[in-house]
Amino acid sequence: MAYALWTEKYRPKTLSEIRDQSSIVNRLMGFVKARSMPHCLFAGPPGTGKTTASICLARDLFGERYQEAYMELNASDARGIDVIRTTVKEFARIAPLSELPFKILVLDEADNLTADAQHAMRRTMERFTETCRFILCCNYSSRIIEPIQSRCAIFRFTPLPDEEVKAYLMDISSKEKVALSEDGLKAILEVSRGDLRKAVNVLQAAASAGEKVTEEIVYLVLGSAKPGEVEALVKLSAQGKLDEARRMLRKMLYEEGVSGEEVIKLLHGQIFNLNIPEEAKVRLIDYAGEIEYRLTQGADEEVQLTSLLAKMFLEHSQRS
Amino acid sequence: MTEPWTVKYRPKRLEDIVGNRKAREEFLKWLQTRLSHKGGKKSALLYGPAGTGKTVTVEAAARSLNLDLVEINASDKRTSQVIERIAGLATTQSTLYGGKRLLLLDEVDGVNLQEDRGAVPSILKVIEDSAYPVVMTANDPWDPKIRPLREVSLLIRFRRLSARECLPFLRRICELEGVKAEEEALRLVAERNQGDMRSTLNDLETLCVGRTMLRVEDVAWLAWRDRLKGVFEALQQLFHSRDVESARNLVEEVDVDYETFFEWIYENALHQLKNPRDVAEAMDRLARAQLLMTRMKSRQLWSLLPYALELMTAGVALAGKGGVGYTQLKFPERLKYLSASRKTRTLLSEASKSVGRVVHASSAKAAREYIPYLRFILKAKREDGLRIAEEVGLSKEFLEGLTA
Repeated sequence: MAYALWTEKYRPKTLSEIRDQSSIVNRLMGFVKARSMPHCLFAGPPGTGKTTASICLARDLFGERYQEAYMELNASDARGIDVIRTTVKEFARIAPLSELPFKILVLDEADNLTADAQHAMRRTMERFTETCRFILCCNYSSRIIEPIQSRCAIFRFTPLPDEEVKAYLMDISSKEKVALSEDGLKAILEVSRGDLRKAVNVLQAAASAGEKVTEEIVYLVLGSAKPGEVEALVKLSAQGKLDEARRMLRKMLYEEGVSGEEVIKLLHGQIFNLNIPEEAKVRLIDYAGEIEYRLTQGADEEVQLTSLLAKMFLEHSQRS
Repeated sequence: MTEPWTVKYRPKRLEDIVGNRKAREEFLKWLQTRLSHKGGKKSALLYGPAGTGKTVTVEAAARSLNLDLVEINASDKRTSQVIERIAGLATTQSTLYGGKRLLLLDEVDGVNLQEDRGAVPSILKVIEDSAYPVVMTANDPWDPKIRPLREVSLLIRFRRLSARECLPFLRRICELEGVKAEEEALRLVAERNQGDMRSTLNDLETLCVGRTMLRVEDVAWLAWRDRLKGVFEALQQLFHSRDVESARNLVEEVDVDYETFFEWIYENALHQLKNPRDVAEAMDRLARAQLLMTRMKSRQLWSLLPYALELMTAGVALAGKGGVGYTQLKFPERLKYLSASRKTRTLLSEASKSVGRVVHASSAKAAREYIPYLRFILKAKREDGLRIAEEVGLSKEFLEGLTA
């Protein structure tokens, strides 16, 4: 069955279909050849192929019926020590059927596991190495406890170079008969920043909107947050009308469904245009970075962004 | 038109009564059996919390079967003589037109035994002698003093009404009264009254008087009515507090949980503090406190809580160096958004889970990295969107919510 969702439809099926991350892919192919592998830690930003590499590795090792010996668990949905003690252990301790050498358990977003759960996991990994190999995927390896890191082969996935993303997008466009304009492509590359999943999702959404994928349409897809609104947000804050600014922010977040991360990116873009000393801009950039980081940690969008708006007010009030 | 709504909209027919359908049917069946003298217990005891439709069921049943309803409120007229006299009439004499009677003893658990030792035996006697069906109501059927009554009666239980059951009725009343009401507002009114239709209607009437529009925040105020004073006082003190400890202690003194208190502080700090440095500092500390609470929850690091509480109280209190304004304290406007989008959020989280399963991602990631694009495609090119929606197993309800 062909998937309707392009990220699934064009997800590589085997390691040889993965075009980027070649040094990683080569090492994984080595595992396939040897029919053996250590526990692995895949670290890297979103959309760089961690999950895909896991699936491809399993398929190359186990064949089409790989799912009999392969399990994916999502640490951010099923975190906590109970899941490690039950689900993970149950899967890991029973040897695979048939001729397969071992099972593979993929724990996605493993950096969301609590420290306790990670310790419980470490014991499971050791006890059942014979029957099961673990692949832990995470954005930041530093959030995986030391003892687990030392038991894993660590693979660092890097954002895809624009050239690679471009090659993927061109390939999909020709297969889907999408007219992708030069500026449209450039816009997608710019907003996806090496995140292939995002690039493909933006392409598919943009392609649904009309004949041709142009820069304008790409920004339409992303810009449920209209730049004009963010400009007004900054202006109100600069004038100290924080109350109104916050009300506007609420409208964007709760009524228009704009994500906090979109707002912070656009706010960041506005900092350069502000009429404040350069030194103050640097302070705001520093703070905006901190706020964006907090948002990725799941902090409350409105509270965090309002704090940035208040900081903008402060920097404006101290001009001259 | 001065009738209260509880009277004005009191259901006249059995089928108009909200909820407890089984109990109503059971009662009607018992009544019909009794009237045709085909056995069954001589009396019925309808029991359940206030406002669940016990009395109204009896009234409507009497009306539909053309019975003459003789009603004694047992907790009103306490003397056994009264019960016997009225009940005696009702049970022995035929009505003027030869019709049949139904005898209702309301609130039998309200009988005061101190004042009226003879009440229960005389009710028992009435049941025994009666030529007509006798029905009683009670909130608490297990009250020991009415045990003899319970033992001779058929017990029929009335349950609290769910908000979902009440909603269509409330909606209809609002229409009749020319009030445009938000769905979420009506739900709040119903939930607040925990399945008591009478008090729900009273609340609704109070809220709707003089309005043509009932919104969530109007109801939110009602819910806060009782506790508001405490919160206002605590906030007053907070913004004028000059030491860490007394500011921090307000969290324990105020009558709301710390997350709600946070919302109040966060809403009002922006209005109360005027100096840019103060506002920025207060907001920064609130943001940090909020971050701590996020970490505390996601990583189960409960020991972070004290820092968060101190930052959000003392941190804000001491930020106000440049003086505090005398602006009126405001209700956290955000709570309205959060409650109104509750349904949307549940739908979204279900959808995200289902998408996540297909695309090998957690539900949070699916919500962030797939749903927005899907939303766009559904708007731009519906047939494509629907194909994807089917593939990732999105519910119809979610799709409707998305495109609405």
